[in-house]
Amino acid sequence: MKKSISQIKKSLQDKSISVNELYQEYFSIAKKNSHNSFNFVVNENYNDHNIQLSQSRYDSGKPLPLDGIPLGIKDLFCTKGIRTTASSKILSNFIPQYESFVTQQLINDGSLFIGKNNCDEFAMGSSNETSYFGPVINPRKSKNAPNDNFVPGGSSGGSAASVAEGACVASIGTDTGGSIRQPASLCGLVGLKPTFGSCSRWGIIAFASSLDQAGPITNCVEDAAYILNSINKHDFNDSTSSNHQRDDYVTNLHTKFDQSIKIGIPKDYLKDLNSDVIQQIEKTKKVLSKHNIEFVDVEFTTTDYALSTYYIIAPAEASSNLARYDGIRYGLREDGKNLDEIYLNTRTSGFGEEVTRRILIGTYVLSAGYYDAYYRKAQKVRRLIKNDFQRIFQDVDFILTPTTPNEAFKIGDKLDPISMYMNDVFTVPTSLAGLPGISLPSGLSSNGLPLGIQIIGNYFQEKNLLKLALLAEKELAFNE
Amino acid sequence: MSDIDIKRISNLAKLNLPKEKETFYENSLKDIIQWVDNLKKIDTDIIEPLHNVTETTVSIRTDKVEKYNSVEDVLINAPDRAQNFFKVPKVVE
Repeated sequence: MKKSISQIKKSLQDKSISVNELYQEYFSIAKKNSHNSFNFVVNENYNDHNIQLSQSRYDSGKPLPLDGIPLGIKDLFCTKGIRTTASSKILSNFIPQYESFVTQQLINDGSLFIGKNNCDEFAMGSSNETSYFGPVINPRKSKNAPNDNFVPGGSSGGSAASVAEGACVASIGTDTGGSIRQPASLCGLVGLKPTFGSCSRWGIIAFASSLDQAGPITNCVEDAAYILNSINKHDFNDSTSSNHQRDDYVTNLHTKFDQSIKIGIPKDYLKDLNSDVIQQIEKTKKVLSKHNIEFVDVEFTTTDYALSTYYIIAPAEASSNLARYDGIRYGLREDGKNLDEIYLNTRTSGFGEEVTRRILIGTYVLSAGYYDAYYRKAQKVRRLIKNDFQRIFQDVDFILTPTTPNEAFKIGDKLDPISMYMNDVFTVPTSLAGLPGISLPSGLSSNGLPLGIQIIGNYFQEKNLLKLALLAEKELAFNE
Repeated sequence: MSDIDIKRISNLAKLNLPKEKETFYENSLKDIIQWVDNLKKIDTDIIEPLHNVTETTVSIRTDKVEKYNSVEDVLINAPDRAQNFFKVPKVVE
């Protein structure tokens, strides 16, 4: 059983382990990079000075909230002086001169960065197979095909794989349509996507600005609360950053709810699902019913439209955000006789197939004559999806769904884009509504691969969401 | 669904698709646009488009100059530079 952040901090405080010993334990696995979960691992001495500072804070009895905790960072966060690529050829030589807001908070709280995690190119993918640096291998194996390599999910696939293989205590990912929750589920981990507007997007390489949100991938729910405490802060540099008062997500996490709780299970999500996945919901219902928690059936009217809405809005925003990669100021430049040729040659050579496809979709739905029919239409349906959730939240406190419709699939198995997009069918609606969602491991499929459940809360209800997830985690007692 | 003019779209996106890839992307786009066309079934005449999900007001900071980058910081990733400028092929005749 992997140690939690609170257990590690206790060991560091009582001196049963030093910061350096702890760091080396994780670094020795990270530097092997045997699942290709890192695009870049820091060099041997990179953290020496910070390890010393961290140890002296423990010695003086005043450690910072995440002091000495080794973290992986998705290669989508700008990290000052550390190459940041978005797993794309077009940024393969880019070294940011500034630190993203989120990673700066983690530095301020004493954590140690062990490397930059592989991900789908510009976070566009659900299997981590679109990375310029090659696919990530899920450390989890099927008991029926132990020699086969499975995808870790995506787009934060390297983040999930690095936590699962023990190369870092936690990793920070981003979620646009499921990119934290889906890989966490496929790797048997906890993944939290906070409410849109919780964690600043400043310094995160943009994919779809109205959807992108940072969050942790961790071994347990309590670790997610520790990380959230660090990164969930208002930031003036992100105009969509909410300036509401944040909770302390760790304090009282283990105390019982003082009110009764009602959870909705969407009937329409469970249609045509395989029995392994349905069983996860049944099991969760059974173990939580003992705790004064009531379950009711709910039904959405917009589920069939969520993926279509997402695959108009996300590519539209991406095509606009990725217009900045032109070979002039940073990143790859391919030569050309004139400025226009530089743009064309750089972009054509620098973007991979899925990114090219989404830029083309986005350009099409935003182009003259199609804007109203597609982009504006999708924004209107997005409001109906949000209203659908708000209608259901009038009757229930939380919503319980599977995180993914299936277990992890083999690398190379899904070739057509639409069947790949279907992986996110349960995570995309939450993203479109901007609501917080957490995925936690609930059991194993008949092939022995991890399956997860998703709990969705109302806006900025992360504290109660984490409390419920912690209770579910304890009750499900997921141990192989 | 209208026909997709892949040449026009790729030109707008500043992408120079190789000839052999044009049909591949055109077919892929057709499949996806056909797939998302189910949105036409919903009546949205009186619905306002949603731009920002939380619809909270933007917070305003004090209008104070803050220095983040030096010229050298900004130019350090430049593929080609001349003194304190990004260098590109001649634009004006």
